[in-house]
Parts: sequence; C-alpha cells; structure tokens
Amino acid sequence: MSTSLVARFSTSVVKKVAMGITGLLLCGFLISHLTGNFLIFVGPDAFNLYAHTLTSNPLIYGAEAILMAIFLGHLFMAVRLVIENKLARPTPYYVKKPTGHGATFASSTMPYTGLIILIFLVLHLIQFKYGTYFETTVDGVTMRNLYKTVIDFFTSPVNVVLYIVAMAALSLHVSHGFWSAFQSVGFNHPKYTPCINTLGKIFAVVVFLGYSSLPIFCFLQGGQS
Amino acid sequence: MSNANNMSLKLKVWRQNDEKSKGKMVDYSLDDVSPDSSFLEMIDQLNEKLIDKGDEPIAFDHDCREGICGMCSMMINGQAHGPEAETTTCQLHMRKFKDGDTIAIEPFRAKAFPVHKDLMVDRSSFDAIIQAGGYVNVNTGNAQDANAILIPKVDADLAMDAAACIGCGACVASCKNASAMLFVSAKVSQLALLPQGKIEREQRVLDMVDKMDSLGFGNCTNEAECEASCPKAISISNIARLNREFLSAAVKSRS
Amino acid sequence: MSIKKLDGKVPAGPIKTKWDQYKFDMKLVNPANKRKFKVIVLGTGLAGASASATLAELGYHVDAFCIQDSARRAHSIAAQGGVNAAKAYPNDGDSIWRLFYDTVKGGDYRAREANVYRLAQVSNNIIDQCAAQGVPFAREYGGTLSNRSFGGAQVSRTFYARGQTGQQLLLGAYSAMMKEVNKGKITVHTRSEMVELVMVNGKARGVITRNIITGAFEKHAADAVLLCTGGYGNVYFLSTNAMTSNSSAAWKCYKKGAYFANPCYTQIHPTCIPVHGEGQSKLTLMSESLRNDGRVWVPKEKGDSRKPADIPDEERDYYLETKYPSFGNLVPRDVASRNAKLVVDEKRGVGATSVAVYLDFRDAIKRDGKDLIKEKYGNLFDMYNRITDADPYSEPMMIYPAVHYTMGGIWVDYNLQTSVKGLFALGEANFSDHGANRLGASALMQGLADGYFVVPYTLGNYLVTEKPEQENVTADNKEFDEALSSAKAHFDKLMSIGGNRSVDSFHKELGLLMWEYVGMGRNEAGLKKGIEEIKKLRVEFWKNVKVTGTIEGINVELEKANRVADFLELGELMARDALERVESCGGHFREESQTEENEAKRDDDNFAHVAAWEYAGENNDPIRNIEELTFENVALTQRSYK
Repeated sequence: MSTSLVARFSTSVVKKVAMGITGLLLCGFLISHLTGNFLIFVGPDAFNLYAHTLTSNPLIYGAEAILMAIFLGHLFMAVRLVIENKLARPTPYYVKKPTGHGATFASSTMPYTGLIILIFLVLHLIQFKYGTYFETTVDGVTMRNLYKTVIDFFTSPVNVVLYIVAMAALSLHVSHGFWSAFQSVGFNHPKYTPCINTLGKIFAVVVFLGYSSLPIFCFLQGGQS
Repeated sequence: MSNANNMSLKLKVWRQNDEKSKGKMVDYSLDDVSPDSSFLEMIDQLNEKLIDKGDEPIAFDHDCREGICGMCSMMINGQAHGPEAETTTCQLHMRKFKDGDTIAIEPFRAKAFPVHKDLMVDRSSFDAIIQAGGYVNVNTGNAQDANAILIPKVDADLAMDAAACIGCGACVASCKNASAMLFVSAKVSQLALLPQGKIEREQRVLDMVDKMDSLGFGNCTNEAECEASCPKAISISNIARLNREFLSAAVKSRS
Repeated sequence: MSIKKLDGKVPAGPIKTKWDQYKFDMKLVNPANKRKFKVIVLGTGLAGASASATLAELGYHVDAFCIQDSARRAHSIAAQGGVNAAKAYPNDGDSIWRLFYDTVKGGDYRAREANVYRLAQVSNNIIDQCAAQGVPFAREYGGTLSNRSFGGAQVSRTFYARGQTGQQLLLGAYSAMMKEVNKGKITVHTRSEMVELVMVNGKARGVITRNIITGAFEKHAADAVLLCTGGYGNVYFLSTNAMTSNSSAAWKCYKKGAYFANPCYTQIHPTCIPVHGEGQSKLTLMSESLRNDGRVWVPKEKGDSRKPADIPDEERDYYLETKYPSFGNLVPRDVASRNAKLVVDEKRGVGATSVAVYLDFRDAIKRDGKDLIKEKYGNLFDMYNRITDADPYSEPMMIYPAVHYTMGGIWVDYNLQTSVKGLFALGEANFSDHGANRLGASALMQGLADGYFVVPYTLGNYLVTEKPEQENVTADNKEFDEALSSAKAHFDKLMSIGGNRSVDSFHKELGLLMWEYVGMGRNEAGLKKGIEEIKKLRVEFWKNVKVTGTIEGINVELEKANRVADFLELGELMARDALERVESCGGHFREESQTEENEAKRDDDNFAHVAAWEYAGENNDPIRNIEELTFENVALTQRSYK
C-alpha cells in the first residue's frame, strides 16, 4: 500500500506523537518560565531587568513565534482528537463506569483542563504582557515596571484564587500529559516507566506549588511597594 | 431448583430490532437467579421467561462460554464484561451481584461496531485489520525445523502475553474514544517480538494502523481503560511498542 | 438395500512409505488451472482454517463459512493442553512409530492404521509450520521449544502455548487465512450456517446457507465441498463444546449419502467442573494436566458428608491409585471417567449434588510447595475459583466427567473423501484417526494434519481425476433452486409449529436421555429404551416446539430449533450404533462386555470394523455398512493400565 506523506502524517499514531512532543516542549517552557518568574522573590529590580533583557532581545520574536506554533499545534491536534473521538462513538452509553484501574481524574478531564489553560493563557497575556504599562529605571536604564503590574494585579484575592485554580488545572493536565507523552512516542519500559510516572507526578506538584507561590507572595507583598 | 440464596434482579436491557432501527433500554425483572449461575445463564433464564410469554428472546453473542472465544461482549453496569477484572461476561458469575440489584446491560458501542440486534454487534472491522497485515507471509510447506529458530524465552513469553488477545473488543468498548489501539498493538507486538515476524514488521504496522484509522475507530489518549477492562490483561506497553514500530517504519519506509 | 463392505482406499505398500509413494502417484493440478477451481470449506476451526489457507496458497479459490462473527472464534480455540508431534526433541525415545503405535493403541484398535501412521508422519511438519507462522510456543531458556508429557503419555511429545494452545494454533491458521483473504483468494462468509448440501450428477457441488443476520437463504456452487464442522457432543446438551457447536452440516451430508461412522464413540472427559444446577448451560473442562499432581478420591463410606479436610487418609478411597497401581491418576480418559461414575453410582459422590469426586492437591502442595503448584496450574486454579468460588489451594477441587469429543463422524477414505464424491470431511467431523478413544493433545494434531498436509494433495487428485469443472455447474442449476426450496421449507415448517415448549427444553430433555442411556455405561435394555424415548421426544418436538420471532432477520430460536431437530435424529443413530456394537472399546462401554475387573472388553473377532451408517430415507431404518479394519503393524492386545 502506498500512502502519501501527508496521509502518513495524519494517522492516529502521528497525531498522538504530535500531542506528546508539543506537550513535552510546553513542559519545557513551563520550567523556564517558572525559573524566570522566581526572580520576583529576589526583588523588583531583578525581575524587571530579567523581563527587560528578555523582551529587548530581537530573537524574542522568533522564540515567541515558535512557542506560539507549538502551542497552536498542541491546541489544533487536541481539538481534532476531541472531535474525531466523539464521532467514534455516535450512540453514547446509557451507563458508563470507569474500571477504577485505568482512567484517572486527570486523564479523563484533559480536554477540560486544557480549555481552562487556554482561557487562562489568553487572560494571562492580556493581564501581564499587554497589561498596564508602568515605567521604572534600573541602573540608569528605563524599562517597563512589570513587577508593579504583577503586584497590583495580585492585590485582589479573587485574582489570586483564580490564578491558583488555573494552576491546579495545569498541574492536573501535566500529571497525565507528562508520562502520556513518553507512551505516545513509544517509550515504555518495565524499569524506566515507573520512574517517568513518578517524575511526572513530581513535575505536576512542582508546577502547581511553584506557580501558586507567585500570586501568594505577591498578595503578601501587596500595598508595600 | 429454588434456593434460599437465589436472587431477584431488576434488569435494564438494550433492545434494538436491527441495525437501522432505534433501540431503547427495556426493564425486566427476574426472580430465582442462582448465585452459581453465570451471567449468560442468567440471560438464558430471562430468555426462557420471555419465550414462555411469547416474546422474542434477547439476542446476544456467546459461544464457548469458557472465556476464550471472544464472542461474548456486553457492557454490564457501564463496564465491558462487567465488574470483575480479567473476566469475560461468560465467566462472570451471579454471586458477584446482590439480591435486589439493578443491572444495566448494553451492547459494546462504537461507530466501527454497529449493532446487529439487541446486544449483538458487528466486529468484522477487527478481521479487516488482521487482513491488512496481522500475519507472517509464510505458505504451508515452506517451514524449516521449528528448533532452527531460537527465540529467547523472555521474547517468547512477551509475545505470548500479547497473543493472548481474544479479539472481543472490550478495549474498544471501554475506551472513551472507541480506539482499537490495544487490539492492533497486541498483534503488532506479538509479531514484532518474534524473529518470524521481523521480516515484514515495517509494512505490517503501517498497513494495520492505516486500516484501523480508516474504519472509524477513535484515537488513543493513553487512559489505559482498555488494559483495565481487557479480560486477558493485555498491557498498554504493547501500545507503546506499536507507536515505536510505527514511527520507525514511517521514517524508514520507501512509500 | 444390502450391507456394503466399504473400501478405505488405502494405497498398497509398506506403511512407512505409503503416504510418500501415494503423494507421488497422485495426479497434480496444473498451477495455471488451480485458479479455475472453487472449493467450499464449511467451518473455520483448525481443520477448516488450515485447509482454506493452504488451498488458497496453492491457487484455488476458497469460499469459507462459519457461524461465528469471525473465523477466529471456532471452538478449536478452547483446546488448552497442547499438540502432539513426534519430534523427539527431549531425547526420550519418541518416534513417528511410537506416536503411531500409541495412537492406535489409545484408540483401542478401532482406527485405520494407514491414516494414523500418516498423521504421526505429518505431525512434525505441523510444529514447523505453526512456529513459522509466529505461534508463540513455550520455550526453554536456550530458545528451543519446550515439551511436556500429557494425558498419560510415557514420552514428552506435547508442544504447548501456555494453557491456550488451541487458541494460538487457531489464530495461526486464521492469520494464514486472513493473508489469503487480503490477496482475494478466500471469501469468508461469517455468521452463515450450512443448511443443505447440493448434489449435481452424483457429486457434491455446493451448499445452501442461511445468513444468520438477514435470514436469507443463499446458493453457493463449487467444485468440491470440505466439511470441517467439528463434532456432535452437543447432542448431550451439556458438554464442553461451544454453544453453537452442532451436527447439522454433517447431518445434511449424511442425508445426502455420506455415511456416518461409529456415532457411538464419544469421549467423556474426566476432569470437568461439576454441574451446579438446572440453569447450567455448558460444562467447563479443566486441563487434564491437573491429574499429573492431583489425587482423585472419594470417601470410603457412602453418604459421608464431612468436609474433605475432616476425612482422615485411611477413610479416603484413592480409587484410581488402588486399582491401577502403575498408571494411577494418569489412566486414559475413558478409564478415569468410568471409574468416577462407578463411585458416584455407589453413592460415594461428593459436593452439594453428590455427583462429583475430589481432585486433591494437598499432597502436591506439601511436597512441592504452593509456589511451584501455582506456577504450574495457577491459571487453572483461578479459573476453577472464578466458576465455583472455592479455593483449590486450601480444599480439594471437585470434578466430574463431561462429554468432550466425538471420535465418530462422517466416514472418509484414505483421501478424506466421504462416500459422496466431491465431499471431503476433515478434523473432528470425520471419524478416521482416533478409533474409539482419542488421546490428549491429538485433536489439534489431526485437525491441522488434515487441513495443512493431507487434503491439499488428495483434493487435487480428485479434481484432476473427476474433472468436475467440465460439468458447467453454477448456482443457477435447478438442483440449487430445489435444495434452497427444501431447506427453506424445513425452516418454514419449524416456524409454523407454534407449540408450547421452548427449543432448549427439548434439547435438555434429549441431553438427559442421551446421558442416561447412551452415556458412560451402555446396555441393551437401556439403549432400546433410549431409542424409544428419543423417538417419542422427536414426535413431540415436531408437534409442540415453540419458535418465536420470524424467519427473516436474526432469530436465535430458529437456529437452535434447526440444530435440535437434527440432534434428535442423530441421538437415535448413536443409540442404534451403540446397540449394534456388542463390545466395549475406548469411549464405548457396553456393560455386557467387560472383564472381571470391570474393564472394557473388546470383541475383535466380531467388531474389528468401522460401522458406517447409510441413510435410507425418513421411514426406513438406516443401513449399517462395514469397513473391516486390518492391523498389519500393531498387534491387538487388551489395554491394561494396571
């Protein structure tokens, strides 16, 4: 059977692999983003300098474009899979009960946690990247005072809670997504798979605690700057 | 044989006259069910009652009734082959239920498994997948001495684990995406693990996955409900092997 | 009509070279001509699937039919133990000759020598073929195939794939079939039941089938028809056969002139899970390998209702070990079964129904440890536990014999051709290789031998010799329309009775009659009574059976009614055959013919022959034709397992 390259790349296996690889890359972004954001604990200058260095580098546009492409790829595949998978069972079950040994809460809610993350991301960009613009001067250089934007935003407890809820969704999403990505690219080994599963869980916890610590810290800082 | 331990049950059963007609859940009650009878014997008993009344008995698939032919199916209270792990419907016994229980019984549902009647479904799509490549191309009479092919015990055992698939379709039925990945991966794995199957491994996996996709099964999302509901405990590590085989073949194949 | 002496058409020459010489002597079909022939294969078990695949590989076009929704589900799939072959890999003195000898002896000298020798010869090719297909046979650490001793054999010649050998061999044959389906050489008609054989010019030229989904009757023409539809154990209602296993295809062939040989030879397997009650629909076999370590016993006292653990050793009767010191618990199936019945008849049976004996692993666990026993039999113990809710590690299993295999079947000659030209019978459907009793792990061997290695040669010879293709027969011939009308009329008649009793109630009653009168012990008075009772039941069936639904679409009751109607006739023939065979041999035990130690006593002077029954019309008694069996290579002795 001869199959066109395009057809081969839209098979079910490749779709999964695409989900897995884009997912893992996004996990990488989560780590680097979190590491940078931790500078908020160091102080306003460190944080603003980091943000400034990042955004004033001309390569950022390329990097953002790549990140966007990865994200949109992940999103596009997800939408496609959800639609196709719904069509694969036109008549739903009258009663459907999980076995208790397979699907987890995290795995069965992937589309929903994904949707929460999508909404969060749009708001996140609006609130911060395109949020209120303050200026500050660090070492004689005028730059955006992103620190103030962030701190101001998290003076509202509602914003803090919503942010943490979104991070919970993100954490759930990666707790299934992490090992699932390895499974999709064909990595399953009796010795290493349990380690990957554990690593995935640790990663999910780190993502949750790490990102949640930021709004809480900012809330506690609130009004003092 | 009436017995003090016998149970009374409320049953909700999917009745559908043929592929085109619309089905619905119908309520029945059944008394005097022995806890020692199998689930299918309980349905036999209900059918005898229906025939007595002049109604049409419930059509359901079954044959060997010892858990190996893969003919029996049924979603029992929302679970493929019922609540017991590693157990086909025919091997599920009524002692696993309680007097007064309500049991919902439905056919396996998937676009690729259209309902023939009541609880009987058409699983010929599985045959179609095997036809696409689930074999070793060796004609009768060509074989060398069986011991000329040495196979490490570990590989032979892993191949046997995968080959234990009975093709019942519980993996598809229990998957929320109605994906057939576990079924396909079991056959791909068995033959990829054995030297006999290695010659054709690339074309095999490409053809079988293409065929699977064309039949309307959903995509795997690694939830492992298939493994959990599989009466033969086929592992999802086979799905990872299938993915691996596919990727390697897709890159290397000339077509 | 008079009694015929049948010719098995065994070729001349020494037994060791007969088959090789005959293969050379047979005519060949030109490769280019093979594609002009069409072959119908009924049934897709080991025999049918292997024949379909091999014939398609050779170039014939094959139309294969099965009742199930896939060719992979035929009941061969349920065989657990293994497949025999004379490979002699373990270096324990096995040989083709020993396998041949054991099979003839095990069959109590009622099989055709030449067929059995050929079976032993090709057994080795089967293992090679299956291994090449990717059947995951058990292996040793060095990578070679693993063997075990099975069913009391003194050598380890059984190849196995866990406890699922039948499944794996069938999936191998099925995959070979699917390979040919992909090439367009095989058309599989699933959920189809053969309802009539079509004869044109005295040859089998096709079949009428009923599509189980639509209810449509279909005509299929071919140059030859292969009957691979298995055995008829379900005549007893309760058996280890699958629910749809039936004798109807064979029975329709019988009525068209194929002789039915030795119908009374039924194998009752000793290690099945006992009946739990009225609602029981089928019986489950526990692998015979359990007898390697389990000890069979019942209490010495009648009606001893103590728990097994409370019965001290001196009050237990390990009856097989006492009676047969050298074979003990490993005596052949028929001997083990009959002895279980004896102790139950003496009111020493155990369990709630008192129709069971113990199979005890206490001593084996004590000797080898629970872990080793678990490794050997874990899956069987789990299966037992699932069905009975009892734990065989802590209390003895309960077992009782159940109908398992039928050695009798459609009579075939050395070519596997029946008495109808162009109609061949393979596997359990024929009578040929197991005589009066089949040894463990030999059924798989025979099904595959017939399909992979025998019929592909002999069918070619038939096609070249008889030239059926020159008769220009198609499904448009009037014979097909007539057969279709008569088949449909039969089904219409079943639908029109409108009685009060369900099909199953008739089947269950027939089963009880068969078990009572044509079961493990048979005698003249009982058989005569059985025949009368079956006749009465048959009359009632045709007056009072209730078939719900319509002739169109899926109608399970109608399917069952058609099968039970045939069982009601076959059951009588079995009883007749048992009545006429006034000797005991293998699975046929006539109480009038036993040794002083209650063992089966053959009468070689009068019964060293095959009884091949010929249909003589609805109102006439069938004719008992005879094929004399001559034993040139094996001396007839009384079997002794003392």
